[in-house]
Amino acid sequence: MKFDMTLALADKPGQLLRALEPIAKNGGNIISIIHERDKPVEGYVPVSLVVDFPSRQNFRNAINELKNLGIAVIKSEEVVEKVRLTFILIGITDLKKIIESRIEGVEIIGLEILTPSLNKVSIKLDVETHAEAVNILVDHLRRLAEDQNALLIAPIYA
Amino acid sequence: MRLLIVGFGFIGRELVKALRDKMSFLRSIDRDFKVVGIVDSKGYLYNGKGIDIDDLNKITRLSEHRDYKLGGTALDLLGQNLCDIMVEATPTNIKDGEPGLTHIRLALSRGIHVITPNKGPLVLAFRELMNLAERNECALLYEGAVAGAIPVFSLVRECLQGDKIVRLSGILNGTTNYILSRMFFEEISFEIALKEAQEKGIAERDPSYDIDGIDAACKLVILANALMGREARLNDVRIVGIRGITQEAISLAKRANYAIKLIGTIDRGLEVAPKLVPINHPICVHGTLNAIHIETDLAREITLVGYGAGKETISAILNDLITVLRKRGMSKFSSPKIV
Repeated sequence: MKFDMTLALADKPGQLLRALEPIAKNGGNIISIIHERDKPVEGYVPVSLVVDFPSRQNFRNAINELKNLGIAVIKSEEVVEKVRLTFILIGITDLKKIIESRIEGVEIIGLEILTPSLNKVSIKLDVETHAEAVNILVDHLRRLAEDQNALLIAPIYA
Repeated sequence: MRLLIVGFGFIGRELVKALRDKMSFLRSIDRDFKVVGIVDSKGYLYNGKGIDIDDLNKITRLSEHRDYKLGGTALDLLGQNLCDIMVEATPTNIKDGEPGLTHIRLALSRGIHVITPNKGPLVLAFRELMNLAERNECALLYEGAVAGAIPVFSLVRECLQGDKIVRLSGILNGTTNYILSRMFFEEISFEIALKEAQEKGIAERDPSYDIDGIDAACKLVILANALMGREARLNDVRIVGIRGITQEAISLAKRANYAIKLIGTIDRGLEVAPKLVPINHPICVHGTLNAIHIETDLAREITLVGYGAGKETISAILNDLITVLRKRGMSKFSSPKIV
């Protein structure tokens, strides 16, 4: 999992190497690094990194070790890669249950409904979610459809 | 080599026509190639010197032939080792695989090469039949059983020998694809599209085998077992058909640049269900076309598109036949190994 970090390093030789040690020790793979040596602020140089850690625990360990070394961590957050998915549900009777679905990391960004006089109601649901929540979302929608005797049409590779 | 054709329905008759047209080519591969027997549900024709194929094309029923033996069965001929290759083309029966399963078991146990487009025996007893073929050093080829003329098994067997297939998805039923395509392009209801398919002979009078996803699920089981080394059974497939698809759902999908297609997928599990497919995805083909999308560790993605039923299936059967003829006299046949 990827993390976006900004460190403030003292503008002295050897500081970058010192900061990278806890990252390497915790299995961090540096994807990008920007070392802005020409923009020191009060003797500190900002260094922005994107690092791929094996787990959140590895990331937390690296941050703690950086702090113990007296290195200021200005920013540290997980890079969440979001995917947009479209679903169609046919025959849903209780729309409220879809709208009120609360799944962590899943956001409904679009809803289109066709209510023909003869046929069942058809709903197109557009959601934005992080990749890890896709299976949870599909299972949730499938259960919801089954409960209401409705048909869920999921994207081909969801 | 001596060929026995078991089953003289649509496929059997079309095969005989193709054999007539390609006989000189087949004899250029094996100058002794001949059709020695043809069996239908009530009897058979047998001539050890070879049946005159031109005679056969003048009749619609085998029983009209002067040498027809009423009451004889395929087992009579197989039991006497009167052939080297059998094309088993009796109707698919997914309940117990019969009569095809018994024909194939007997043929393989006697070292007779088997070519079959019959899904039933392959769905129910794939591993057993492959082991039987291996033990008796003969071929069991079944290109026509899945997606008709699309050469998926041959492609993987010959051209992807070092690849591991990690996922496979496809449109494996032409009838449902025709119905969904008509709903997509003509904005007609499911009921009208189905009726139209029945009138054109694309859908059966009882269309449940196709529209409820059972046919596609059978093909998925064969693909999973043959190409990915699974031990899948029909019960392992999560199946949802297309009966519930409304015109409104198709319109909503279309406005968002998707088509609804009945997709078979082999991933962690096996599933046949209607899915939203981006209209620019290579698998998004229309009409009665089938498509198979293979994802492998080395080649990454390969898509095959072609006709999945009808007389195009003869292409697959003939290719299997030529494969056997070309390998005659060479080292023993062995089942392809899966990476």
